[in-house]
Amino acid sequence: MVQILDVMKKALEGKPMSETDYQLKSFASTVQRLVKEHGIKFDPKNPIPTDNSLSNDVFKAAVELVVEVGAYCTDTSRVISFTEAEVKNALRTAPDKIHLGEGKDRKALRPRKPEDKTPPWCMLGAGGGACSSDRSFLTLVEGYAEIPETNAITTPAITRVGGMRIRPASPLELLGAMRNAVFAREACNRAGRQGIPIMNSLATAESDIALAAAVHPKYGMRTSDGYMICCMDPMKVDFNRLNKVTIVLSMGAPVGMCFGPLMGGYASGPEGTAVSSTAHHLMGILAYQSSWLLPFPLHLRYVSSSSREMLWLISATGQAISRNTHLLSLNLNYTSAGPCTPMCLFETSASVMSAVVSGQSIESTGVASNKDEDRTTPVEPRISAEVAHAVAGMKRADANEIAKKLLAKYESKLSDPPKGKMLFECWDPETRRPSKEYQKIVSKFKKEIGDLGIELRPEP
Amino acid sequence: MTDQKIFNELKNAVLSYDADAAVKATKSAIQAKANPMELIEKALVPAIDKVGDKFEKMEIFLPDLMLAADAVKASTSLLLPLIPKGGKGVKATVVVATVQGDVHEIGKNIVASMLMARRFNVIDMGVDVKTSDLIEEAKKQKAKVICASALMSSTLGSQKDIVDFLASTGDRKKFAVLIGGGPTSQKWADEIGADGWGKDANDAVRLTEKYDKRK
Repeated sequence: MVQILDVMKKALEGKPMSETDYQLKSFASTVQRLVKEHGIKFDPKNPIPTDNSLSNDVFKAAVELVVEVGAYCTDTSRVISFTEAEVKNALRTAPDKIHLGEGKDRKALRPRKPEDKTPPWCMLGAGGGACSSDRSFLTLVEGYAEIPETNAITTPAITRVGGMRIRPASPLELLGAMRNAVFAREACNRAGRQGIPIMNSLATAESDIALAAAVHPKYGMRTSDGYMICCMDPMKVDFNRLNKVTIVLSMGAPVGMCFGPLMGGYASGPEGTAVSSTAHHLMGILAYQSSWLLPFPLHLRYVSSSSREMLWLISATGQAISRNTHLLSLNLNYTSAGPCTPMCLFETSASVMSAVVSGQSIESTGVASNKDEDRTTPVEPRISAEVAHAVAGMKRADANEIAKKLLAKYESKLSDPPKGKMLFECWDPETRRPSKEYQKIVSKFKKEIGDLGIELRPEP
Repeated sequence: MTDQKIFNELKNAVLSYDADAAVKATKSAIQAKANPMELIEKALVPAIDKVGDKFEKMEIFLPDLMLAADAVKASTSLLLPLIPKGGKGVKATVVVATVQGDVHEIGKNIVASMLMARRFNVIDMGVDVKTSDLIEEAKKQKAKVICASALMSSTLGSQKDIVDFLASTGDRKKFAVLIGGGPTSQKWADEIGADGWGKDANDAVRLTEKYDKRK
């Protein structure tokens, strides 16, 4: 079994290579060759594929990609190679469930299959999006914790401490990460969900030293929380990330590797990016020692995951993983449009449906590309979770037809989406409810999506 | 070899993302006494413009763009020394980097490739570049423009540090500081006193062209 010391040995003794050669000559060209060899084709007419052989081809190509190109350590400029036997052994021994949370909020995150009736795990919140103030952080997380479907929280990132903007790996980042831990727990306490796990621990801790500082028990972090470490695209590690892995493993907590392969980036089009995203799952359980995986593939131009190609690649990846492994995979989706717009709600519905019917659980929502501070509310993840529960058990073929109708509602606006409103313009922190304007939009949206075949609970 | 055949060979090398072929075609062209400036203007520029358009429309993807830019760079490295000083072969020097504390490189690579393709002398310092090192290099290279990318909300502050450092050392007017990256905006550029914000790579090239023309 590959353990962290083995990863370090491979990082220190692997084949020397420049980063550019790894990315362009090794990774990019191998992905393209494997896509051709396995005959993997994106079908724009069917955004949610139903052909099981496609998912098998994507999976086989992903295994071959990991074995052929390995991961890359930017600190040693060496390739971290894995044999096929190591990949298969890691797949066999990876956890098939993990328990997260405390008390009545302690639940098991389990793998799902395509068209599975099991409700997906809903990790809800901001997806690490930035917030401008302590007030907006607490308002958002309290709102997330109140969503009935919330299994785990994904907090925003804090950007300022003492009026100063955070600087990487500085005391400001350490203090911000500590504040992230304390406020996240406090907001959950206020909602009466003391045991709920915070699963993107810790969004504000980009550096290893900030994570190490903020996981001190006095700030409220627990081993039953989820610890997310972000992989650099494509399949790269550095000592900062391996340090974080070592810290989390030493706590006995579950590492979750997140990764955001760009459609249009090193893996090229939707086919290559589906292979890359699937391969990252395998690389994650090896190099990052992950117990759970969090893909957030993004469109290079739109910086969102709701376009036709993105729905296809989310589904192709989800099916490749869920049909061929028992890995715990949660897809994080980004919208192009912002809060208080129908488009944002239709986008998140389409991406979430694609992931859930393909056998994944979800993290949601990166709103309006997660670009602006405070351009997010608790409404978007709530809608995502309602959709996620509503489509569990839906046939892929039915979801495919609904996806086409959803795309028709927003596809033409992806290059110039409505940015919507900011948190406090459409969410009342006192009543913890959306503004009247947003409430109307949600009610109308629910009627329209109900007409398409996704019945959501009536608005109060 | 006719001029047209020479131009086509070089153009095709770029369009097939092949730096070795570009070098070979450039050497043959030089041997055939082709005009280096014409080779740049009639072969390299139209070829890389076509590649840029295809990338913009997502008909091709990042690896092709980077390889095409490499092919142009390989060719211009042979052609530019043959152009008399004061000629219009090469544009300003631009220092490109991802800021201190940030290791995201894709956006920075796209900008560097597009600038390279448009004949800027691009000094790509890579990722997680210390503010003082970036400025030192810009001074050493007599750069006109600094392009600083940040993808994380936690690393935006490093863009501000570049502007502040230049102001503190009295060097602010020596360089145009352009910023870009996921969480950046015109508002942020205005707030920190940057000279421009590129919402994408094309915007970054447009702004760099603008500041190249300034004295």
